[in-house]
Amino acid sequence: MLKVIGGFIAGIVSVLVLAGTMMGSFMFREIESPFTVEETAARIQANIQAKKDKGWSLSGLRDPVKPLQAAGENALPVLLIEACSTRYSGPMLKDDKTRILSILMPCTITVYKKNDGKTYVGLMNAGLLGRMFGSKVGEIMAEVAADQASFIAFDPSKPAPPLIKGMPGAGGGAGKEAGGGC
Amino acid sequence: MQWLYARGLLLPLMLAWVTSVAFADDPKTTAVPAPAPTAVVAAQPAPPTPATPAPPATPPLTAAMANKDHTTADHSRFEALQKDFKSGPEVTEACLTCHTEAAKHVMKTKHWTWEYIDKSGKKLGKKNVINNFCTSAISNEKDCMACHAGYGWQDKHFDFKNEKNVDCLVCHDSTATYRKLPGDAGHPVYERKEFPKDSGKFVEAADLKMIAQLVAKPNRANCGSCHFYGAGGDGTKHGDLDSSLKKPGKYLDVHMDAQGLNFSCTTCHQTDEHKVSGSRYEVTAVMTGNAHTRGAKDDKNPASCQSCHGDKPHQQNPLLMGQLNAHTDKLACQTCHIPEYARGGVGTEKSWDWSTATKMGPEGKPIATKDSAGRRAFDSKKGTFVWDSYLIPEYKWFNGDMNYSARGDKIDPSKTVNINQPEGTAGAADSRIWPFKVHRGKQAYDKEFSYLLNVHTAGEDETALWHNFDWQKAITAGMASAEMPYSGKFDFVSTEMSWPIAHMVAPKGDALACAQCHQAESRLKGIGGVYMPGVDGNKYLDMFGWAAAILALLGVIIHGALRTICVSRKKRGLACQRW
Repeated sequence: MLKVIGGFIAGIVSVLVLAGTMMGSFMFREIESPFTVEETAARIQANIQAKKDKGWSLSGLRDPVKPLQAAGENALPVLLIEACSTRYSGPMLKDDKTRILSILMPCTITVYKKNDGKTYVGLMNAGLLGRMFGSKVGEIMAEVAADQASFIAFDPSKPAPPLIKGMPGAGGGAGKEAGGGC
Repeated sequence: MQWLYARGLLLPLMLAWVTSVAFADDPKTTAVPAPAPTAVVAAQPAPPTPATPAPPATPPLTAAMANKDHTTADHSRFEALQKDFKSGPEVTEACLTCHTEAAKHVMKTKHWTWEYIDKSGKKLGKKNVINNFCTSAISNEKDCMACHAGYGWQDKHFDFKNEKNVDCLVCHDSTATYRKLPGDAGHPVYERKEFPKDSGKFVEAADLKMIAQLVAKPNRANCGSCHFYGAGGDGTKHGDLDSSLKKPGKYLDVHMDAQGLNFSCTTCHQTDEHKVSGSRYEVTAVMTGNAHTRGAKDDKNPASCQSCHGDKPHQQNPLLMGQLNAHTDKLACQTCHIPEYARGGVGTEKSWDWSTATKMGPEGKPIATKDSAGRRAFDSKKGTFVWDSYLIPEYKWFNGDMNYSARGDKIDPSKTVNINQPEGTAGAADSRIWPFKVHRGKQAYDKEFSYLLNVHTAGEDETALWHNFDWQKAITAGMASAEMPYSGKFDFVSTEMSWPIAHMVAPKGDALACAQCHQAESRLKGIGGVYMPGVDGNKYLDMFGWAAAILALLGVIIHGALRTICVSRKKRGLACQRW
């Protein structure tokens, strides 16, 4: 009996260790981009703007390396593209049970360069995250995940769009115009 | 599973919170969902323009006036400088009344001759080399000479012996108002002028009297007016030199940090009779021994890291210094201390493909497009460009000598033509592993004579490529100016040019870490000539080592298990053999 219980506990521990180790790869996706950091970010921005019918709009573009540079240090380039859709954020923000998920808003996609000189795109696994909060959030996040997939679908035949630094509609804050922020 | 879910949620939530706090510019902004993006986005470069000395908006005369406190001569009180100068040569004439030998010095330098003769007697320099960017100055002098330290070089008849043609102000202007534009054969702007043409932007005429009265030692903007903007735009050519170095932060260059050491270019590139040390034609790839000592006679190149730091520069960490210093006989300092170049937000050009030049837009008119960062991507006049920033250097063994292709050298069009080739022997005492920017391109060559072609690009005449968009006319005119035969048949060949990286020295904390070289995906993979732990190895030796390690581990486990069994048996009164 002792052996059975011991084996069971060992099994649980092994699963937890394995899950903990691999959680990162479940929660986040990383894909390689054939473009520079700026062009990748600009193409993602253009793709987001093409999803206006789903309520999406750009709400920010951040360069987290800037503060590091101001402190006298270097890091390879990173650009954080922030976007939001009131169509998805609204139902979650209106419900006390899910309002805490506002901490994940706006939706952020990161574009960065690594030491191999290549550009990568990092995304949160919105679908998996949504399933952790019940069916309502799960359904919303499944749609977000589908839209996210379209944000990172690049068409090399299209010319490089300009990187949008001033956010349309955002006005530097949240929701100056509809969809400007969340 | 609930715990698992909770943990799974916790991870991204914590990460999001940590990210938002860590990356916020201002603590106040963390409460604002969408802060003004323009405040945090990397500064983007100004659109590239043709080779143009520094483009100031407002004259920073305060700095120029302050500079007067550091000189023993107030030039504004000199009688010779009280004139209302009408031209650059008039200013030079006034300068020479006191600095009688200065022009003679300048005339011996490459800044004047644009010529360099290497050890083999080969004539190089801008006058003789076809480079990987604008290709050649010959037949394009009126534009290119915006970066000549002289006045009036517009064709082969330029008088190199006339001292009045020496331009003192381009290096000694402290007001940042002295501009030399393409098309003026090295003269400054004498009358208010629209530049670029049809842009609606105007460059004011230089106040030569005021500029002459405020001359000073060269600062970064003086050198940068050409060296930052070489090849037709900010950051185009070098990769480690661009306008971000006018006022850099510590992250960009520890030596030039405007709030720190604030080195000017001449702090390292010290001059002697106007000859500036540290030319790319005379690179000191290897220097051994101690740092230069003030007062001691030393004829070594002052524009080298070792001239200040010596060849055993790592002294602070007793655990690491021996190992780090052991690297200096194989690596140039720059290899570790400039881990990436083009870090200032301007970026640099990676390639220039001339073969697409003359292609017009949909309406049959010339077009120009930019990349996502606002840098030139295509121009009907010049072709296709690729830019990037924070670039990982390419590494090569280098002994300081460059093997250049000069005009007229035969090429093999089936292979990439090396405009220059760093020389060096893997592992040799006279060579070190250096970081390079390798610029790639395509340019015109003569299909019959198999050499690169001299193309007449700039100008408003009917044969200029940028005016008439006719390759045949432009090549014919360019080759005639270069006094070289042209078969009438041309095509395009792939070319490469290597630029050693020596600026944008990162703070020591950002130097390459061990693992960036000593791992399977090493930056130095394939460099050869040196055994690299973590990269190189002998398959059989590695197998033997691993087998020994595994057997040793097994031995420990088995021995431990037997000892445990033995103790257990003894407790139960059973016999146990001793191990």
